[in-house]
Amino acid sequence: MTPVHFSFSSAFILGLMGLAFHRTHLLSALLCLEGMMLSLFIALALWALQFESTGFSTAPMLLLAFSACEASTGLALLVATARTHGTDRLQNLNLLQC
Amino acid sequence: MNPYVLMILLSSLGLGTTLTFASSHWLLAWMGLEINTLAITPLMAQHHHPRAVEATTKYFLTQATAAAMILFASTTNAWMTGEWSITDLSDPLANTMFMTALALKIGLAPMHFWMPEVLQGLDLLTGLILSTWQKLAPFALIIQTAQNIDPLLLTLLGVTSTLVGGWGGLNQTQLRKILAYSSIAHMGWMIIVIQYAPQLTLLALGTYIIMTSAAFLTLKMSLTTKVSTLATTWSKSPILTATTALVLLSLGGLPPLTGFMPKWLILQELTKQDLPIIATTMALAALISLYFYLRLCYAMTLTISPNTTNSTTPWRTQTTQASMPLALFTMATLGLLPMTPAILTLTT
Amino acid sequence: MLKVLIPTIMLFPTIWLTSPKWLWTTTTAHSLLIASISLMWFKWTSETGWTSSNTYLATDPLSTPLLVLTCWLLPLMILASQNHINPEPISRQRLYITLLASLQTFLIMAFGATEIIMFYIMFEATLIPTLIIITRWGNQTERLNAGTYFLFYTLAGSLPLLVALLLLQQSTGTLSMLVLQYSQPLQLNSWGHMIWWAACLIAFLVKMPLYGVHLWLPKAHVEAPVAGSMVLAAVLLKLGGYGMMRMMVMLDPLSKELAYPFIILALWGIIMTGSICLRQTDLKSLIAYSSVSHMGLVAGGILIQTPWGFSGAIILMIAHGLVSSALFCLANTAYERTHSRTMILARGLQIIFPLTAVWWFIANLANLALPPLPNLMGELMIITTLFNWSPWTILLTGLGTLITAGYSLYMFLMSQRGPTPNHITGLQPFHTREHLLMTLHLIPVILLVTKPELMWGWCY
Repeated sequence: MTPVHFSFSSAFILGLMGLAFHRTHLLSALLCLEGMMLSLFIALALWALQFESTGFSTAPMLLLAFSACEASTGLALLVATARTHGTDRLQNLNLLQC
Repeated sequence: MNPYVLMILLSSLGLGTTLTFASSHWLLAWMGLEINTLAITPLMAQHHHPRAVEATTKYFLTQATAAAMILFASTTNAWMTGEWSITDLSDPLANTMFMTALALKIGLAPMHFWMPEVLQGLDLLTGLILSTWQKLAPFALIIQTAQNIDPLLLTLLGVTSTLVGGWGGLNQTQLRKILAYSSIAHMGWMIIVIQYAPQLTLLALGTYIIMTSAAFLTLKMSLTTKVSTLATTWSKSPILTATTALVLLSLGGLPPLTGFMPKWLILQELTKQDLPIIATTMALAALISLYFYLRLCYAMTLTISPNTTNSTTPWRTQTTQASMPLALFTMATLGLLPMTPAILTLTT
Repeated sequence: MLKVLIPTIMLFPTIWLTSPKWLWTTTTAHSLLIASISLMWFKWTSETGWTSSNTYLATDPLSTPLLVLTCWLLPLMILASQNHINPEPISRQRLYITLLASLQTFLIMAFGATEIIMFYIMFEATLIPTLIIITRWGNQTERLNAGTYFLFYTLAGSLPLLVALLLLQQSTGTLSMLVLQYSQPLQLNSWGHMIWWAACLIAFLVKMPLYGVHLWLPKAHVEAPVAGSMVLAAVLLKLGGYGMMRMMVMLDPLSKELAYPFIILALWGIIMTGSICLRQTDLKSLIAYSSVSHMGLVAGGILIQTPWGFSGAIILMIAHGLVSSALFCLANTAYERTHSRTMILARGLQIIFPLTAVWWFIANLANLALPPLPNLMGELMIITTLFNWSPWTILLTGLGTLITAGYSLYMFLMSQRGPTPNHITGLQPFHTREHLLMTLHLIPVILLVTKPELMWGWCY
């Protein structure tokens, strides 16, 4: 495992653990998600550099575009949640529990 | 919803799944999954209602995480082996992570908790899309990669899913949650056989889609979401009442209905692979699921009042919903077992 | 085979297309025609072995009596349920007869199947119509409980059977009954094989039912409408016995030792369920427990695996099928008049219904195995084989016979003799239909005395 590999892996796993264990607010969950996507962006960009593959260099841009769409959807949902539930605390999303 | 917007959303839903089907590169497969998630999100939240928004949020978070994990797994694989092709997922760490992410995506047992809650917040047609169409793309991926994944992991996921799908549904009174648990149990059946006979997974997925569509369309036709309102369906549509009981028993897998076919073939494959104990466990786990289907049958069909309605007009006005899809799916749900050889030939 | 199966399937258009006025008449006539055609199975062309019409359906001396019994029961069921289904809306009457006819279709395919897996599927397929008959047309709320018990006992027993059958197919390459009896004996010695042996039989023992796993049967019988009770007692229980006889061929080397606990349980069950009968207050429950007791004897006869045991088992199954069905019909005639199954509320019926008392008398005598009725022939053959195997069994079987006589007498005296209480003097008289129904049940029983080789099975 190269240092680059290690660094983006640990960044991703930190983001994932943040999403799994520290999700008081919807906003922080979305931020963790965004962090995961950015570590993936770095991974893809560095992969293209490492393997010197020019054909692959558009991939990080595509990923970035999609993660931007995803982030905006997440923010839209944040607004919707704030309007319907009055808060963005994830504990309040309990209407559907068994 | 504006029909143009609806059309765009539905066609992107189709585009996402097709993209995943057609891709051989992990990035494209991931893009297909993302397009799928992004397209169904507005459909789920179209009624601006706390429950719908809550369901959408939960769905979005799980699906986005699962998709990110899939991409991370494939990136790890690419860093290790330099390969982006879907069928070459050979790194064991990447494999396990990919399977976990996919289990999260389709709602397999230890990662299934979002499924009943999300389905409960949706209206019936979106729920139908969620529990049928949205399963196709992940299954396209898993069928391509299944050969590399640890068999123990797949078996564990399969057995726990059937057991949890059975146990979870026992205590429910909400029909959509029951259908969600039934979906979890069926996913377990599909996963357990995927390494030995992928064509049986396809067959099970196909019959599951047919049966679930029949069940959802029935509920849509009779506008019921709770067990307690199921009991008054007979006054509106007596024939639907009669067939629904059989549809539910078919979901439970009783012969001579279609639902028995995948179970039979999967059990046969498992015994052929010398796994009779797992086969017996799966078969008996199906009994637990059957119990809640049977309870729905009791509520809907078998305890109706001994007389028919006195008035000639039905209680509610005539429905304008199309009944043709419901009729087709119901017939397929009830009568495909004798066609088993033909269907096997089609899927192999 | 098809000349019975296709008319049976054509019953469905008959049921749904005849005018409401003629519904019961046409269906009874149609099914009676089918029953008379089915008698042609008795004329087997090959001296021993199978008479097959195609690869998948065939009859042999073992399945023929059961097939004819199945066909014979359908007109009787339709006759018996006329009275209590008639007030319902016409479409539900049609649906009810459809269920009965579908049950007959499945049963013909089950008894006629040559592939064990097809037998299995049809065995399971009978569950759905029976379940609907019990839980939809039963009378009390407990019927839902009874339906659940019925379904889950049977399925929990039979799903391991499916896995066991698939394993058998994997090791022998075929599941055809025509081939399996000539196949190499399996090498069975490990623990896994013993579990496999048990899985092969437990489904049928639950269906029989063996004492210990019989709890679903009294519930189902008590809650089911009359046609459900009739078909359950007469034919569905026999699916268990038939399946066991088919499977025993394959299980040979292990059965010698492993059958002991089951034989003991079956014989012990005869005494236990007989004693339960002696203290029953509920008429239908009494008849149901007496079925369990008789089927215990059948299970013992099959597990002992001698030609006499098999013949006795099939004779007793046929005779018990007709007699217990007749008893359920009689119980139902009393139930339709007094609206209670409690025996103490319907005493002394001999004074008001003398001819019916004759039917009760004959049916009870047949139930306690009076010579020369076929019940005696079956019981005697089984008791003889068991005695031959171990003389000590005569204690259990002899006591069982005594108890059988005891509760049959108790049932007869309780319902027919003694003073008639005042509250039942105003009952409506018996219909010709009901007398016809009893005649059609009891004439075969009596006529079989003169030609018992029809149901001797493989021994003939």
